[in-house]
Amino acid sequence: MIDFLSNIFEHFSDPRKRVFLGYIFLSIVISILWLLKTKRLSFKQALKYIFNGKVLLSTSSKSDIKLFLINRVFVLFVSPLLVTQLAIATLIYHFLKSLDWLDVGMFSDTPKSFIIFSFTAFIFILDDFTKFIIHRWMHKWPILWSLHKVHHSATTLTPLTIYRTHPLEGVIFTLRGSFTQGISISTFVFFFGNNVDLITIIGVNIFVFCFNVAGANLRHSHIGIQYWKWLEYILISPAQHQLHHSVAQEHYDKNFGATLAIWDWIFGSLNHSENTETLSLGVRNNEILAPHNLYTLYIMPITEIFVIIQHKMKYLSEFFKQKLIKIKYETKE
Amino acid sequence: MKNRLRNLVAICALISGGMSQATFAETFSEAFAKAKANGLAQFSYNGSLFTTQTAEEASNKTYGPFPVTVKGYAGTKTNSVSYSGQIARHILHDSLKKLASKGDASAMMNYFGGSDTNLKIIAPASKDGFPIKQKTVNDVSKGKNLSGKTYKGVISAWPGEMTGPEVLEFMIKKAAQSKGGFDVSTGYNYPQLISKFAMGAVFYNQAVDNYLDEKLGADNKPNSKPYKDGAPYTGKEHVWDEAFGYWGAAAHSLKLSATENYDVAKMKNLGAADANGDGVIDLKSEMNFAHAYYASSFDKGGKTNYFETVTQAFLDGRQLITAANGKDLTRSQRAKLVRLADTIGTNWQKVIAESVFKYAGSVYKDIDKLKDLLDSNGDTTKAFATYAKHWGELKGFAMALQSGKEDLGETAEYMNREIGYGPVLLNTSQVSGLDSSGNYIKDESVSMDVYQLNMLKIQKLMVEKFDVKARSNNQMNQMAALAEKLGGSDSAEND
Repeated sequence: MIDFLSNIFEHFSDPRKRVFLGYIFLSIVISILWLLKTKRLSFKQALKYIFNGKVLLSTSSKSDIKLFLINRVFVLFVSPLLVTQLAIATLIYHFLKSLDWLDVGMFSDTPKSFIIFSFTAFIFILDDFTKFIIHRWMHKWPILWSLHKVHHSATTLTPLTIYRTHPLEGVIFTLRGSFTQGISISTFVFFFGNNVDLITIIGVNIFVFCFNVAGANLRHSHIGIQYWKWLEYILISPAQHQLHHSVAQEHYDKNFGATLAIWDWIFGSLNHSENTETLSLGVRNNEILAPHNLYTLYIMPITEIFVIIQHKMKYLSEFFKQKLIKIKYETKE
Repeated sequence: MKNRLRNLVAICALISGGMSQATFAETFSEAFAKAKANGLAQFSYNGSLFTTQTAEEASNKTYGPFPVTVKGYAGTKTNSVSYSGQIARHILHDSLKKLASKGDASAMMNYFGGSDTNLKIIAPASKDGFPIKQKTVNDVSKGKNLSGKTYKGVISAWPGEMTGPEVLEFMIKKAAQSKGGFDVSTGYNYPQLISKFAMGAVFYNQAVDNYLDEKLGADNKPNSKPYKDGAPYTGKEHVWDEAFGYWGAAAHSLKLSATENYDVAKMKNLGAADANGDGVIDLKSEMNFAHAYYASSFDKGGKTNYFETVTQAFLDGRQLITAANGKDLTRSQRAKLVRLADTIGTNWQKVIAESVFKYAGSVYKDIDKLKDLLDSNGDTTKAFATYAKHWGELKGFAMALQSGKEDLGETAEYMNREIGYGPVLLNTSQVSGLDSSGNYIKDESVSMDVYQLNMLKIQKLMVEKFDVKARSNNQMNQMAALAEKLGGSDSAEND
């Protein structure tokens, strides 16, 4: 129980977490400024706009909170069972060591500042890219979509919506994190030796810190901050991500990126931001009937996956049957 | 749009700039140490007790002299501090270590078991630029030995089910039989094994398991009576002084930096050591010995503050007892003293755990070198000797760690299993026990690679169980540190 409570508390007090209270506060400040400037609202109106009861107290938002709390319990029990970044790093490190044409610390003479900067940038970029690619798969592969749909079933967005995630999807995300960290740590330590370090501000990767300070929490919110068009080729703006959550046909499978928009640009899924006030969010009605029911959110994805697998198996067995018949037929001839 | 962005950037810059100014420390003691190093504050943190000092107290940083408080004392002494018996044992230990590579069993036994003759001080002995006042052990204190004060429990970390004194005597005999104290066939470096184990089994055990434990009880050596009839010190005063003596810090050491204290123990800084300026070093009060020396070696890395924490706790405790002025300690005074003893005990234990950590790292690196030499068919003689020396230190400290107040239980078992009775030899064998006549039995062992991994496990164990912070020779390492910094990968966040 104490573990559970401290785990929850940590999410809001640890600057490595997105919903760290400091970042939330900054997001509010940024929202106010944005509303004052672009919408010409008064300060009071801006506050009213931000703390909109229809959004923050919606059924969707309440189910976000339930999922957040229930998922903490899952994380407490499941995460110790998963392979850690250190295990992966050790494995890769020893693999590299076994290769004759590579030497430990081959490039350890490189200036320290360069090593540290490269490591910090590398891990940030690799992390962002793997997030993009996994996210893309989440949308393209039916089995994964069954899980990811839970996140998209939110009909209003708040910063806590990032925890509206199916536990199995959480497992995939955790493994992704382990792999990216494991790869970055092991290769850098192998090639550059003991000088590898991370540039941090209050203990957080400086790039991640900048991203969070610049209002990363607004991605999941009703504040549709738009960037200049050129910047939206490089960084995903909050409005661009809100578009990703839209039910409209033309917004399907767009803007998968976490921080960088470059990946979407390269893969052809980039969509510039629009005014988000009229967007309708969620998934199509025929995909989920009661989107905020805990049964729908936890159990349905599993049953769906079973159905998909069953279907595939059927298809496969049918396929092999046909093949077999064909072979029999041919040998007869 | 332009203004909007300009505002945004300005705010971010302001906030990130402000936040990066704050330096974060992992623990309170670390934070205090940092503040102190920057000259920002004059205070100390003892783990559980936080004491701010006045300037006057800060200048009074020497352990003694303290006035005589015994009621009705008729003698002429004006100083109640006395721990020369402990210093004599430090000298016996240092000398024994020197002798362990000379092959003379009876000479070694004189220093271990005591002797009627006046023994010469073999170490620390005068050298150029560092003259020592005392020449013989009796110049310091008469009739002392190590064997009588060695931990009497059975030592499961060493083959043969022997008690502490029996293990040391056994090692002394074996040392005499091997060339220069080093036995190539088993990989045992006896000077290291004897010295590192003795420091734990005698000094650490006596202090934390005896003086700072039962002898702090209300009815044991009360403060209202002299320690023994006619003594110029009370029961509690002397109990505390003896524990301080075993710790091994010089009386004026709190006035010195970690590096200076380290150099004093290494006999490299006469100016720092010679507190009274008489040009010679009085071993009774001006020298750093044993674990105090190891504490300074870690502290000079800047990550820890063991030396000062322990020594300050001793000084605080002594001042507290002196202030009781020969009366029995009140309940709250004694509680405070027990808390100080606790600070001393935990930090002393950490110093030994840091040493285990450090030498596990050395052994790891030594195996790397040995493997390279084996691959290239090079001469391993020298590299093997270094490996055996570091292993001896690792084993000795690991055994010392088990000689404290509490039974380490599983932790000890795990440590003993991973390190083994002896180092893994080049033909993947290892000492596995003793036969009935005390000869070593060897058996097939794990491979060098696996043994290397065991060393990482030992380092990890020291971090997990004893929270060591200095982490010299960290092999477990760079990668783990980075993983810690990245803050784990478990997240259920949907970006």
